[in-house]
Amino acid sequence: MRRLLGQIVTLTGKDLRIEARTRQAIGLVVVLGLLIVVVLGLGLSPEQMGGGMGGGISGGGEAKGDTLTPALSLKEGEGAATSGGVASEDAASGGISGGGGDSGGGGGFAATAILWVAYLFGGVLVFEKTMAVERDDGALAGLLLAPVDRGVIFLAKLLSNLVLIAGLAAVVTPAAVLFFRFDLSAAPGSFVLVMALSILGFAAVGTLFSAAVSSTRLQGGLLAVLLFPISLPLVIASTQLLARLFRDGQAIGGLGLGIILAFDAMFLVVSWIVFELVLEP
Amino acid sequence: MSTHAGLIRLYWALTAATFAATTAMVFLYTPVEATMGPVQKIFYIHLPCAINTFVACLVVFAASVAYLATRQSYWDDLAYAAAKLAVLFCAVVLLTGMLWARSAWGIWWTWSPRLTFSLLLWLLYVVYLVIRSAVESPSRRAVVCAVYGLIAFLDVPLIHLSTRLMPDIHPGSIHLDPTMKLTLGLFFVPVTMLNIGLLMAGLAINRKRRALTWTDEEDVEGQLKESVA
Repeated sequence: MRRLLGQIVTLTGKDLRIEARTRQAIGLVVVLGLLIVVVLGLGLSPEQMGGGMGGGISGGGEAKGDTLTPALSLKEGEGAATSGGVASEDAASGGISGGGGDSGGGGGFAATAILWVAYLFGGVLVFEKTMAVERDDGALAGLLLAPVDRGVIFLAKLLSNLVLIAGLAAVVTPAAVLFFRFDLSAAPGSFVLVMALSILGFAAVGTLFSAAVSSTRLQGGLLAVLLFPISLPLVIASTQLLARLFRDGQAIGGLGLGIILAFDAMFLVVSWIVFELVLEP
Repeated sequence: MSTHAGLIRLYWALTAATFAATTAMVFLYTPVEATMGPVQKIFYIHLPCAINTFVACLVVFAASVAYLATRQSYWDDLAYAAAKLAVLFCAVVLLTGMLWARSAWGIWWTWSPRLTFSLLLWLLYVVYLVIRSAVESPSRRAVVCAVYGLIAFLDVPLIHLSTRLMPDIHPGSIHLDPTMKLTLGLFFVPVTMLNIGLLMAGLAINRKRRALTWTDEEDVEGQLKESVA
């Protein structure tokens, strides 16, 4: 067990050290993620986002939602909602996304979808880059000759990919929160948990397919085309889960979380098994 | 060889005959549905095609696993033939479903669970066909496609479950008259025969194409290219 961990740490350390010295992937990926968020921001108005501003503007819904609470807080809610129209940030956080849900009904919670676009494209680039490192100078052949189990190579690659995607998420998520005034304050822990679990499954499949297509020519678009349809259950489940959490105040769990966990468990195991069949120098 | 060709001809003649007979039953024998009207007759082809889509997906999965286990090109050819049929039948399901939706709900498309599921399933297997033409080396292509065929099939139940998180208007089960049930059951025969026939034909074509392209040399060439790169 100790030896296994040592091997994983060595292999992951190698990948991350290469990355730290060349900064090939992370710079590219973070800038791509930011660009995606900016492009979406140009096309979508804050009202379409369903969070932040949307919550502040929907004054009527906010008041309705508070009818069960004492009159004082009802007035507070109205006050916050009206000043929300002037786009003060306090008002936006005052009109918690629950208010947006009351009035919105059809209005979704766009934060997850926008972040997913950035994560998916950024992730594909990460998988390509960490695998491309192995193609140079016959590094993959050397790796395959090393006396380690192929499953360990998979776990190490997965770990490197996760670290890099975490770096991407750490920059892109705050940027999106800032630009779109996403209000994640209601349940930041659940948001991080759902996204982290989803990205784990995405990275498992991504690591497998990056190895499968690594020695092919047209890998640029190919990896994205392969990965996106496979990852759709994660996108649907996490968007629906988080929309319900932030719009309707429902706790995460049930079918949505089950799907994400099943995806993670199933594809971690399958990728780990199949990985050694697709590795070829 | 000639008896073989004769058998194939007989098979297709039978398929065409049962297709014609069941189609006649749909229009002459079954009653017109009370609330939806004649458009409900789409159902007789809609459901068998949906079931046959899953059968084709299952064949892709089984052939992919068999390829990864044995590395024999036969399984790759079978998976390819089945993937084409999955896309074909799923396209029929989508198109007939859209026609039906237009008539029943007044809209061509809505993001309800089953419609979304059919669309995602169709996309999943369209991608399978796309990667076949994107990877040059035959041996590499077979591996990538087999891995994809394996993962994609395991993904299908997850996609199905995740779309169930969306609001639904699709009919779950329709009350069927006995004559309708009989016709529906019989309509499975020609559609399934079509599926099997096209699968075998596709497999035969793929086998012959592989034999013609002198696989061994191409494989060596592909491996050389890969080792140089």
